[in-house]
Amino acid sequence: MKDANSTRMKVEAGLQRRRRKERVFQLIGLLATAVGIVFLGVFFFSLIKQGASAFEQTHVRLDVEMSSEALAPDGELDLIYADFDGVIRSALRNLFPDVTGRGDRRELNQLVSIAAGYQVRDMLVEDPDLLGGKATIWVPTSANVDMLVKGKIDPGIDEAMRPVSNQQIRWVDQLETEGRIETRFNTALFTNGDSREPELAGIKGALMGSVYMLLVTVALAFPIGVAAAIYLEEFAPKNRWADLIEVNINNLAAVPSIVFGLLGLAVFINWMGLPRSAPLVGGLVLSLLTLPVIIIASRAAIQAVPPSIRQAAFGLGASRMQVVFHHIMPLALPGMLTGTIIGMSRALGESAPLLMIGMVAFIVDVPGGFTDPATALPVQVFLWADSPERAFAERTSAAIIVLLGFLLLMNLTAVIIRKRMERKW
Amino acid sequence: MTTRFKARLMLAILLLPGFMASNAIAQSARDYIYIVGSSTVYPFATVVAERFGRGTEFKTPKVESTGSGGGLKLFCDGIGVDFPDIANSSRAIKQSEIDACATNGISDVIEVKIGYDGIVIASANSSADMSFSRRDLFMALAKQVPGGQEGQLVDNPNRTWADVNPDLPAIRIEVLGPPPTSGTRDAFVELAMEGGCKTVPWIKALKDSDSDRFKSVCHTIREDGVFVEAGENDNLIVQKLEANPSAFGIFGFSFLDQNAEKVKGAAIDGVVPTFETIADGDYPVARPLYFYAKKAHVGVIPGLREYLREFTSERAWGEEGYLSDRGLIPMPDDERRQIAKDVRELNALSAASH
Amino acid sequence: MQNTTLILLLGAMAVVAFYFGRSRSLALVGGASKSAALHSLPGYYGYFTVVWCLLPALALMLLWLLFEPRLVVAFVVSGLPDAERQMTGGELNLLVNNIQNLASGDAVSGEVDSVLRAAADRYNEISQWSRRLLAVLVLGIAGLGATYAWRRIQPDLRARNRVEQVILYLLVAASSIAILTTVGIVLSVLFEAIRFFQKVPLTEFLFGLNWSPQTAIRADQVGSSGSFGAVPLFTGTLLITAIAMSVAVPIGLMTAIYLAEYSSARMRAIAKPLLEILAGIPTVVYGFFAALTVAPWVRRAGEGLGFEVASESALAAGLVMGIMIIPLVSSLADDAIHAVPSAMRDGALGLGSTRSETMTKVILPAALPGIVGGVLLAVSRAIGETMIVVMAAGLAANLTANPFEAVTTVTVQIVTLLVGDQEFDSAKTLAAFALGLMLFLVTLCLNILGLRFVRKYREQYD
Repeated sequence: MKDANSTRMKVEAGLQRRRRKERVFQLIGLLATAVGIVFLGVFFFSLIKQGASAFEQTHVRLDVEMSSEALAPDGELDLIYADFDGVIRSALRNLFPDVTGRGDRRELNQLVSIAAGYQVRDMLVEDPDLLGGKATIWVPTSANVDMLVKGKIDPGIDEAMRPVSNQQIRWVDQLETEGRIETRFNTALFTNGDSREPELAGIKGALMGSVYMLLVTVALAFPIGVAAAIYLEEFAPKNRWADLIEVNINNLAAVPSIVFGLLGLAVFINWMGLPRSAPLVGGLVLSLLTLPVIIIASRAAIQAVPPSIRQAAFGLGASRMQVVFHHIMPLALPGMLTGTIIGMSRALGESAPLLMIGMVAFIVDVPGGFTDPATALPVQVFLWADSPERAFAERTSAAIIVLLGFLLLMNLTAVIIRKRMERKW
Repeated sequence: MTTRFKARLMLAILLLPGFMASNAIAQSARDYIYIVGSSTVYPFATVVAERFGRGTEFKTPKVESTGSGGGLKLFCDGIGVDFPDIANSSRAIKQSEIDACATNGISDVIEVKIGYDGIVIASANSSADMSFSRRDLFMALAKQVPGGQEGQLVDNPNRTWADVNPDLPAIRIEVLGPPPTSGTRDAFVELAMEGGCKTVPWIKALKDSDSDRFKSVCHTIREDGVFVEAGENDNLIVQKLEANPSAFGIFGFSFLDQNAEKVKGAAIDGVVPTFETIADGDYPVARPLYFYAKKAHVGVIPGLREYLREFTSERAWGEEGYLSDRGLIPMPDDERRQIAKDVRELNALSAASH
Repeated sequence: MQNTTLILLLGAMAVVAFYFGRSRSLALVGGASKSAALHSLPGYYGYFTVVWCLLPALALMLLWLLFEPRLVVAFVVSGLPDAERQMTGGELNLLVNNIQNLASGDAVSGEVDSVLRAAADRYNEISQWSRRLLAVLVLGIAGLGATYAWRRIQPDLRARNRVEQVILYLLVAASSIAILTTVGIVLSVLFEAIRFFQKVPLTEFLFGLNWSPQTAIRADQVGSSGSFGAVPLFTGTLLITAIAMSVAVPIGLMTAIYLAEYSSARMRAIAKPLLEILAGIPTVVYGFFAALTVAPWVRRAGEGLGFEVASESALAAGLVMGIMIIPLVSSLADDAIHAVPSAMRDGALGLGSTRSETMTKVILPAALPGIVGGVLLAVSRAIGETMIVVMAAGLAANLTANPFEAVTTVTVQIVTLLVGDQEFDSAKTLAAFALGLMLFLVTLCLNILGLRFVRKYREQYD
């Protein structure tokens, strides 16, 4: 008994220390979990803080005169060479009649985006009767004025160190007091392709590029992936060849994506002669990239179908093919679809392999087909992140928000499909 | 959803790729201009390309930034839709490149000089103002520098700017600059390095006696980590400079102009790079910018002739043009007029002119 | 005729073929009530007909679409006047492009002369003929195939087995694409890498300490010496990977432990999906964050502590990469922890150990192989990560272990060497493929090892 007592005393003596260790251990675990979540919070907070303002664009109200002698001296409007910018310039001049010097006039003209002239042209194309009349229009300001109005340029710092001059700030203040300045929803962000002017730059081109690529990817990767999964799971003889395919697929899932880019460059572009920067090539590369993901998910979905169903079907005399296509596949389909959507969302976010196949280029036109030059949404983020203009920084964040929005949507769809269609056994 | 329906759905999905492929394979001809080349000219070329695309019925040209050397190499690879129509360059085409073009069947190249650009040694606005001589730059960046005796070269031992010139502060030398594919690099070694190199009398003498050796002495940049080849991306350099006030970056003046709120140029030989000093020719490290177009492609690639006109129009490259807003320093009026005329007449570069 | 219409027509034919095949089989045995006399179910006779209807026709169509453009161009060229036919390849190619643009009604530059107009008309005419011919041929072959199959239908035709055999071939073809991809990767990087090693000895590449690939691109230019010693790249990659792992492994592991052992079910239900969001954020977004937010912060913090920090320090890229990898480590560790039989855990708790003691002394040792496997997979992921380092790490090939200095990685160099460069004859461009080969081999070994650990361990207790 004495021994037992002394053991007990020993244990009790250490108990406090052990409990303290226990608490410390638990605290470390909690902290570790918090790190990831806190990072996520900081990340989204800074993203939204930076990017939210890009969904708005400052506009200025101008009273323009579509004088026919300026726009159509020969009596007919020349849509290409008519001086639409001149209309805007004279509208600005009318607002600030005391600005006379050439340099000052230039600074004045820089308040308004070059989009304004195109806006006038589009108005005239739509309604030729406007020629010779007057109109009040809201046109986008230049990116620098936009930044100034949004408070992203500090007017307090030295004039040489900011992109807007003192008198430009004065003019903007005057316009603001006259109620001629307003921030409106930035439609250009969603309707335009890339641009060198931040106020004109939009993500539509990149978005369409991504859409075309994903179409190619889903058209190739889904049927091939599902077919491969069915073969491997149901028909492959258990031999070395099947083992090889198995190891192979597991490895492909973990091969760095940039290596797939090298493959695309060497095989699709150099060897097969497909065009650079084309969504077709991007889609091919991405489908090879997502194939392992889809195969693995589809195999898991097939494995999840209970053996009783298979056995019942066999028992009723179904052939192997019938068992698979009539009974197992319909039950495994939700799992396969979720796997495919997850694979697609990975493909949507992928950019490293696209760098290899020429998709980092300045492309203004929105692509209209599978072989038109295009970029993709993440590549656009990469390009804008490198742009020096301050206004591109907020647009980069906005593009990221849109990209993340799409990813979230895809993952939600996957979750809903899983919840809705998956049966529990 | 019945099993039957699902099975048919599967069948339909399995047939989809054939359906898509049949449409994807139908390749169309190239109906846009394909431009490659200098990252210094890139900002100008993209602005012109964009205005051109918006203003005309033609598609917007595709512009890739590959560096002048890389671009001209692509350009000279051949005639045909697979090859670029235009190469931007921040230096004049070299004889070796004209020869390469000629071997590949490109006999007529139209040279268009578009304006001037200075090469600046810039640092973050938060750093102290610096003033270098070209000799300082050579001594700081050359792989080998003259040693104690005449004719002797030693591996560059200078670690700080004070080692180079006692008047300069003792900050570690750290310069981010372009790789050899870049025309800025070529122009920098020819104008700044060679200029500094020639201040050493015995090396200057080499120029006549052994020009190859002269070139390798003056043009070779050190590779021990002091000079960092920062790729073709000038924006990246600006970002790095902002983060690191003791580093310097080498790039075009237009970039400095666009980023005046972040970086500033150091004076070279006592002259600070500004629009005026470069236009006047006071700033010693300035060079013209060019682009090259294939005459054989004019009239075949839609819009190429019109693009050339847009670029050489007064509203683009004139004193008041939108390119000068972007930091391109315009040429004198008569030179512009002459070049615009040459471009309209499609006067090609004669092989002997260089 | 549009390809789309053709495909739709073909689909319609397939449906018709199905019903014809099916009804013939039934007619042969005398009605649906006697279908037991058939070898297969009636539907299989339908599918049998469909297979014969579709496969040859689709194969023809594919071949046609692959070769048609070239044939049409050849025809148009042969119809050009002699002067144009004498042109060199490049000029001819441009002329053809112009003709195609004109033919499709696209914007054309230059004057359209009669020759060009005639050629474009001819082009349109020929391609229209070609499409008509294709339509006739494809539909004809489909019809012929279907008729052939239809006539072969006999009650004892093993239609099901035939159809299933065809499907099986398709399945085999699909699964061999995975193998083809690997072969494609290996071949494409191997060939270019071999060409590289003909120019630069393997030993220099593997053991050289100096990386300076930007060689002169013209004869009359002085560039770098062109040394291709990749050791600085390997050490740079290792340094960033090590930083990433020293963030990801402890945090990921402790997260897994906490979520498995301590947290309430509700907290787990919230925290796990949140962490998985981290894994779903595109790497380019991490890169943006690393370059613009974390790097300046690291620099300020480092200088506050009196260190000299490079603007593109390895630390910033490594930290962000570590965060990205946390979910990977934690989910693999979670799997490994959950695979430890609860008897072992209950036993340890029953003997009076605290939960942390159970964890560190019983469960973790038992789960170790699985965790190691997971870590290996995470390392392979970190080595191959591209966008974060492209945007946040430098290009300077420094041989250093100082996390505050700038280093460069294998993936950064691949991107720098290849973006915008399309000439495949210089050592510089080929070096990218050699690096790609190294990257592929190293990650392959890590993956095989990691997967083996993970799997072997799972078998032990199941």
